[in-house]
Amino acid sequence: MKEIEVALIGNPNVGKSLIFNNLTGGRAHVGNWPGKTVEKKEGRCIHKGVMMRIIDLPGVYSLTAASIDELIARNYIVEERPDVVVDIVDASNLERNLYLTLQLLELEANLVVALNKSDIAEGLRYEIDVKGLSELLGVPVVPTIATVKVGMEELKDAIVEASKRGVKARVRYREDIEELIEGIGDILRRDEGLIKKYPIRWLAIKIIEGDEEVMRLIEERGLMGELREVIG
Amino acid sequence: MRMPLGLAPEDRMVRVVEVRGGRGLIRRLSELGFLKGEWVRVLKSGPSGPALVEVKGSRIALGRGVLMRIIVECVPP
Amino acid sequence: MSVREVLGEEPEVAMAEERYRVIGEILSRVFRGARPLTLSDLLDKAFLNRGLGIPIFLTLWWALFRFTFDVSAPLSDLIDVFFSRLGEFASSIIGNEWWSAFVSDAICGGLGGVLVFIPPIFFLFLGLALLEDSGYLARAAFVVDKILRPFGLQGRAFIPLLLGFGCNIPGVMATRTIPSERDRILTICVNPLITCSARLPVYVLIAGAVLGAYASMGVFTMYLLSIVLALLMALIFKALIPYFRGRRAPFILELPDYARPTLRSTLTHMYERGILFLKKAGTIIFLGIIVVWLLSSHPWGAPLDQSYIATLGRWLEPLFRPLGFDWRGAVALFFGFIAKEIVVGTFAVFFGLGEEAEIEEVQRSIVELGVFTPLTGFAFMAFTLIYIPCLATIGIIYRETNSVKWTLFTVIYGLILAYLIALLIVVIGGLMGLG
Repeated sequence: MKEIEVALIGNPNVGKSLIFNNLTGGRAHVGNWPGKTVEKKEGRCIHKGVMMRIIDLPGVYSLTAASIDELIARNYIVEERPDVVVDIVDASNLERNLYLTLQLLELEANLVVALNKSDIAEGLRYEIDVKGLSELLGVPVVPTIATVKVGMEELKDAIVEASKRGVKARVRYREDIEELIEGIGDILRRDEGLIKKYPIRWLAIKIIEGDEEVMRLIEERGLMGELREVIG
Repeated sequence: MRMPLGLAPEDRMVRVVEVRGGRGLIRRLSELGFLKGEWVRVLKSGPSGPALVEVKGSRIALGRGVLMRIIVECVPP
Repeated sequence: MSVREVLGEEPEVAMAEERYRVIGEILSRVFRGARPLTLSDLLDKAFLNRGLGIPIFLTLWWALFRFTFDVSAPLSDLIDVFFSRLGEFASSIIGNEWWSAFVSDAICGGLGGVLVFIPPIFFLFLGLALLEDSGYLARAAFVVDKILRPFGLQGRAFIPLLLGFGCNIPGVMATRTIPSERDRILTICVNPLITCSARLPVYVLIAGAVLGAYASMGVFTMYLLSIVLALLMALIFKALIPYFRGRRAPFILELPDYARPTLRSTLTHMYERGILFLKKAGTIIFLGIIVVWLLSSHPWGAPLDQSYIATLGRWLEPLFRPLGFDWRGAVALFFGFIAKEIVVGTFAVFFGLGEEAEIEEVQRSIVELGVFTPLTGFAFMAFTLIYIPCLATIGIIYRETNSVKWTLFTVIYGLILAYLIALLIVVIGGLMGLG
């Protein structure tokens, strides 16, 4: 049976643990992330001949590694490279929730978006063009209502589909920023070891932001000299 | 008129002009949507204690220290 | 073009702005709707109201506690009786004397001692899950934050501390919601000072025995003392310990929409936490009871006051003499270290009354044998309140802090503080002629 690793992520309060329970049938192995006091939940789900190992990542607003939760989530995605990442988005709070989604796309995660709390969004008379959103983000978007298990089958389908297809989504920023990303990317690409391990686009954006962890990595790889000019 | 968010009156839309503070705080607040030019509404406030603010469609409670570091433009009614 | 030229002095903020700009563009094309005045907003007008917010919360909380203890008490009794009967049955069919006692007292007693927790703990967690899933918990933290700030604590510390009145273990576990490591550990260290429900029988026993008309006031004073000490120690730790002295983490808390909690999600949360408690705390309590049984029934055949544990008690007695406790008090306190529920039963056994004795009988014995005077009794109550968290709580503290240092710190300061306060009570009371 094919085995894939699926990570669940999303803002706090979006219904992530409910979706986790829906997918894993409530049977979870609970432990701690190595060396930390943050809870780690893992479970399994079998769908259409595929065995999914589901990891529940901490609820975070972003992946800038400012807190332990963010660090854990980010490191997991970067280092373990799960086959699929399910970003659970609160449909009644799209604007803020999509912030994390964009960061996940920067990380080149193989994303499936679960648009949860669709019922609440409807109650607030929000109209969301799901197909349009999916096209603009470049990833599948599945409306769900976790409280009554609506959309779970479709979500599982989307996860299995995504595991076959692989990463292809891309959101572009404005032209001058994209040029910066390109320029930094060119310098980074010369480091073979770096390309193998990390998504270059993400590294470039982190360098632009001056992310401490990434800057430290760059120093270790001895690339600071070349990058100094671009950073300015 | 400019003032810290902590002094802004309730139920009014105000516009973020500046966020002061250390890098970590600025980053956190930016991610939550407290960016220059962003409209924010004070839902519950008082002379002391935390205040409840609406930003980017969600309700965020901010402590006094944070409230005084977000400078907003308050348009008279 | 360099980063600085394109994005300015704060590229991080500029990137955040760019992301939101892209989001805004996407939403303009696929999203339609304006945020209306919701039920949540209306509810918040009441729950966050300056004057009403806290009273509303305290009422809800009191209701939760009453419900928990009224409903769970009979259930706990049932479990208690079941395991006693099971123990009796087991001992009746096992020939060998030692094994008979081991299975009935240690094993069945141990199992009963753990499982008797299930009703109150699960109900507490149920209540907590309801408050959390409904979105109300965040409001409680918001409303209370102002009051706790001067003491070095923050709004999110309120729930863990309040839970402590039921049981310190859920209280410590609930500190997970506190994002700042420093604040979290501070709240954990202070949590054991909150008097849990297991200590109440001890207060009732002693107060009823020696405080006469002032018994209920004595018990109430313990609760007051608990709150005062928790706040005071938080303040002192914050002032004196460098680790806690650092800059306060900024208070930023999202208040989610109010939502009707579904039965499924609430029960799931309750179950998950309850099982965690049983696995971690339960194992410790079970093992603890077995150890206590071993120490108190050996040398085999000897009465309690000649057992190993009594020897231990007599060995500790000199330490406690300034406080007016005798070897029985010392042993009871030692047992209380395992689990505070055992203290009353221990006294009963000392007076040869058997564990199932009525509380009045035990109280009478205390008076007749002069085990405590009103003053030393009061000091004993205070000592019980403060000294150390029970073994299971210590286990959970270790698990939640992942640090031997902080766990030891909590245990040690508790012992020292308990001794000081008890001593203070006895000395001042003596000077006032209350002895």
